[in-house]
Amino acid sequence: MKLQSIMLTNFRQFKGSQTFDLTSDKLKPVTLLFGANGAGKTTLLNAFTWGLYGNMSEDVEQQDRMVTDSSWRALPVGDSIEVAVEVRFDHEGQDYRLLRSATLRKESDAQGPMAAQLQLWTTKTDGSSEVSHAPQETILSILPVGVSRFFFFNGERIENLVKKGAYAEVQKDIKVLLDLEQVERAIAHLPKVNRRLTDDLKKHGGATASAIQDSIDSLTDQQAKAKDDLKVVEANLAELDEERSRTEDLLRQHAEAAPIQAERDAVTKELDEARAARDTALNERKLLVATRGFQAFTDTLGEATKTMAETLYQKGALPAPLKREFVDKLLDEGACICGTPLAEHTESWEHVKEWRQRAGLQAVETAWQRVSGQIAPLADAREGLRESLANLMNRIGIERERVARLEARKSELDGKLKDNRLEGVQNLETKRMDLEGRIAVKNQRKGAIETELLNVAKEIEQKTKERSRAQVTDELANKARSRSDLVTSVKRALEEILAIREEDMRLRLDAELKAVFKSITHQAHVPTLSEGFELTLYKNVNGVELSVPKSTGENQILSLSFVAAVSKLAREIRQERRAEGAGAEDAGTFPIVMDAAFGSLDQDYQEAVSRALAKMAPQLVVLVSKSQGLGRVVTELLPYVSHLGVIETHTTAAGQVADDIELEGISYPYIRSGETDHSELKVIK
Amino acid sequence: MSQSRNEKQVLEELSDEQRALLKRVLEIERAKLHITAYDATDDLVAAVKEILP
Repeated sequence: MKLQSIMLTNFRQFKGSQTFDLTSDKLKPVTLLFGANGAGKTTLLNAFTWGLYGNMSEDVEQQDRMVTDSSWRALPVGDSIEVAVEVRFDHEGQDYRLLRSATLRKESDAQGPMAAQLQLWTTKTDGSSEVSHAPQETILSILPVGVSRFFFFNGERIENLVKKGAYAEVQKDIKVLLDLEQVERAIAHLPKVNRRLTDDLKKHGGATASAIQDSIDSLTDQQAKAKDDLKVVEANLAELDEERSRTEDLLRQHAEAAPIQAERDAVTKELDEARAARDTALNERKLLVATRGFQAFTDTLGEATKTMAETLYQKGALPAPLKREFVDKLLDEGACICGTPLAEHTESWEHVKEWRQRAGLQAVETAWQRVSGQIAPLADAREGLRESLANLMNRIGIERERVARLEARKSELDGKLKDNRLEGVQNLETKRMDLEGRIAVKNQRKGAIETELLNVAKEIEQKTKERSRAQVTDELANKARSRSDLVTSVKRALEEILAIREEDMRLRLDAELKAVFKSITHQAHVPTLSEGFELTLYKNVNGVELSVPKSTGENQILSLSFVAAVSKLAREIRQERRAEGAGAEDAGTFPIVMDAAFGSLDQDYQEAVSRALAKMAPQLVVLVSKSQGLGRVVTELLPYVSHLGVIETHTTAAGQVADDIELEGISYPYIRSGETDHSELKVIK
Repeated sequence: MSQSRNEKQVLEELSDEQRALLKRVLEIERAKLHITAYDATDDLVAAVKEILP
């Protein structure tokens, strides 16, 4: 299948009818289309799948709005509008024109559901053209919908192809593409054919042949049942295996998390201690300030008191030469110590009274004696207070710092542990052991069924030989026997062919995958395709193969390599086709249409992927944005490009929105202001 | 099955009739690959009868 052109009519952003030529040749297989975000790259990719299969990928939003919004708005209620995708392509010597279209009548502003119709015309090499009466069936026989995932895809989501759990589906699609599925189906269908053919043998073949045929039938039933059982056991085994691998993952996480958990516990304990120590120090300081804080302010007071007392000493006021109590006694008694009477208001009385003013109090002297004794210890206490406070401040500082450090550490450890939902190690270990046991039992059962199948096959072969020798006189019965022999031998040959093809395909796919992957990645990782088509990535560490977890980027590269390998192999096997006879010249040829081909890859990878892409498929349509596709990508791809285009965005957004894209030294409109929001397919070359 | 055997050898060992049926069977199955519910029995019986009338 090679694409020739696509025409979109009122399809989502693509207003009116727009066509883009896609014809390419072996030397220049690439069509490169640039488009801004929202321009319609994903829409264009989905136009292909909608045209071919009538469906779009899940990431296309508002799938009921198929008609260009502005065209729908402008449409008067009651009028109709057409939405369509036309794809022209050629396949195995025939040209095809596919048209999926619908006419939608406007009943309200909301677009209603629509029933699209598919039409397909074929043009033969002699120019004659005819309408296909089973268009969808024809399309599906050219490219089955499951297989299309390898050829029409979004680069950002392609990694899903190699994610755990995708193998079953992918394996089936690969089998279709690599001509394994038809062999498997034939092997499954032929026993029924045989049963039908041998009816005549049983009816008319005589007692012996009929009895032998009965045995063969019963053995065949046994074989069919054993094969079904084997499928069930294999499915169970796959489930158990997946469960075991999940459990082991959890155990591994647990092993990784255990030291972190232990450290967090220790840090939490230390943090509690540090907080308690800090609080104790703070309380001690509070108590110290409350009980002895005043001492800090006694420095000048003590000095002043001392100075004052010294002054009093110097003046002779201390110790007091005369006590007031003594003078008061003289005045009370009315006589001086010299004998002079002290009558009130006499000169002598006045004289003594004047002495009273000058006399000191006994209490003051006593107090002074007490205070003077405390001035020196007070200074010592002050010094002690200073030291205690300094110590406490130091302790508080240290504990505060410890608390802050431990809090930071704990929060980091909490972060590390947050994403781990961990069952207890013990439970996990028990579960793993249990799974191991169940897997062993299933494996035993599988082995038993396989032995049974071998024995039954031998018995059938034996009985078939006996049947050949049995005397059969009836002509119809004889014919039936010959036909049954023919079917049996063809089935046996198909079984052998299937085994040969499966092994051959896997080995070649594996080799091709390794080669493509190696050409892209700079990591020393090697992909391997298991017998079950499961993709793993491993690295060699000193001779030991260790599986490596795949990053998103690696998954994308792995998927692209896988697509490249599958695409190449599909072509190769058709050219060397065997049992099916010679294929057409382009048998197994399919185009690859990819949106966001470079996903979120680094520049280096973008360059390597571009290089690989150009050689990847016989025809390649790459849809990229300016940021993904300019620079090295364009440089790598341009020599292989036969059509270059821009999906020009027209927007009603206000402001300076215009943007250009420069390709091969020339500027082209990329985004423009417009009266309506829509996109236009512009051909550059 | 020996590893050295290939598809060509398997085919060469078949009689003309066997080879013809094998090819026809694969053609029939291939044409209906996209129809999972397809029961090929009738078509295959017809193919056998065509080869061994």
